[in-house]
Amino acid sequence: MLMTYTFHVSGTHCAACKILIEDILKEQDFIKSAKVDLNKKTVEINTDSDKNQGELAQILTEKIKSNGYILSVEKLILEKKSDDVIWKAIPIGLVFLVLFFLLQKSGILNFSIGGKTTPTTSFIIGLIASVSSCLAIVGGLILSLSAKIAKDDDDELKRKPFILFHLGRLLSFAILGGVLGLIGGAIGINFTFSAILGIIASLVMIILGINLLGIFKKNTLTLPSHIFSFFRKVEHTTLAPIVVGVGTFFLPCGFTQSMQVVALSSGSFMSGLLIMFAFALGTLPVLAFLSFGSVSFAHSTYAPLFFKSTGVVVLGLGVFALLAGLAGLGIINPLFSI
Amino acid sequence: MNKTASIIITLGLVIALYVVFTGSSKSEVVANNVEIRNGIQYVTINAGGGYSPGISSAQAGIPTKLVMKTKGTYDCSLSLAIPSINYQNILPQTGDTEIDVGTPEIGKPLRGICGMGMYNFAVNFN
Repeated sequence: MLMTYTFHVSGTHCAACKILIEDILKEQDFIKSAKVDLNKKTVEINTDSDKNQGELAQILTEKIKSNGYILSVEKLILEKKSDDVIWKAIPIGLVFLVLFFLLQKSGILNFSIGGKTTPTTSFIIGLIASVSSCLAIVGGLILSLSAKIAKDDDDELKRKPFILFHLGRLLSFAILGGVLGLIGGAIGINFTFSAILGIIASLVMIILGINLLGIFKKNTLTLPSHIFSFFRKVEHTTLAPIVVGVGTFFLPCGFTQSMQVVALSSGSFMSGLLIMFAFALGTLPVLAFLSFGSVSFAHSTYAPLFFKSTGVVVLGLGVFALLAGLAGLGIINPLFSI
Repeated sequence: MNKTASIIITLGLVIALYVVFTGSSKSEVVANNVEIRNGIQYVTINAGGGYSPGISSAQAGIPTKLVMKTKGTYDCSLSLAIPSINYQNILPQTGDTEIDVGTPEIGKPLRGICGMGMYNFAVNFN
């Protein structure tokens, strides 16, 4: 006799989980159909098994446990498992933060390149900049947005915003670099503008960091609806990721700023373009790793741990960037010199 | 992971972060970076991977100029802001930049900070 049961499922962190769970469940010969509702976090199955619902929950959990999912008859109140994850995630995230700031403090990245800046040297400067505390703000922003998008969306959508973002970044650096070369020393790069942009970026990182940590109920910190719709735009439209990519040109970053000055004094559109493009290209490997790495991790068994650890890292970098940004504007006294 | 173990590790890491942030660096070395020529006091600060010396002492009541020295510098220390005198500029990659800071008063330290806010220096006037 065919019976219909509804189970609560925990561990569903992405849209692809729906397909995975349904596939595994349908492989069992006593299950005729399985349907996952991601919003309600429930699974509805049709079965001809004569076992009761509790036994079925146990048997089926055995099948999908290795992928990180648990079926239960009653809704699990505040899964103990996610509690454990956060206690692993905090030390992991902190280890990354300690290593990152140690790297900055070590002075390894303090180098000097004499002579004229060529596209080759600006490529090398880009490589170094991409691991410096200066790009913590750009890297942190990318990491938080990537993890957020990876967490929210299904597979096909995930890579597109990042490709657009990196394209927007490379192209805008090239074009704006060319423009700087063309107009020469006529304009100054506005500190206050880039500092304010930096503070906005750090606030985004803090909000997304808390969100990724999921320490608040229902795994989401309620965002004001217009901010939320901004994130949806970043995820779904073509223009928004490009705009964010272009925006990184103006984020406060000493390396970017000094390259902008080089471009300014380079004297021609082509030379300014080449210098800024080579610099952006140098920063690409690390930044691309951050964004595409997030997507890959989002599909592994470690996804919850990855998102929470990322939350810790992003939150730490966000607070660092916020304090530094406020100090840069002269609003608070500098608290550190790293 | 055991929750208690995790809390202990977390505390250890927080302490490590604190040490990294507040730990002494080269900036503690008090160099002889102040000189007076023709009635003008020059305070020399090296910019590159941060500012050194981080804290300098100079005399108050004398017209004073900061000399920012850069040598093949590309990092944040180039984009210098000194909020109290409304100074914002991007230093040249290599060279000396003189900044007129007027005649400082006693007990009003001059603070410089890089554009992103992660490096800073202070000059105390006595």
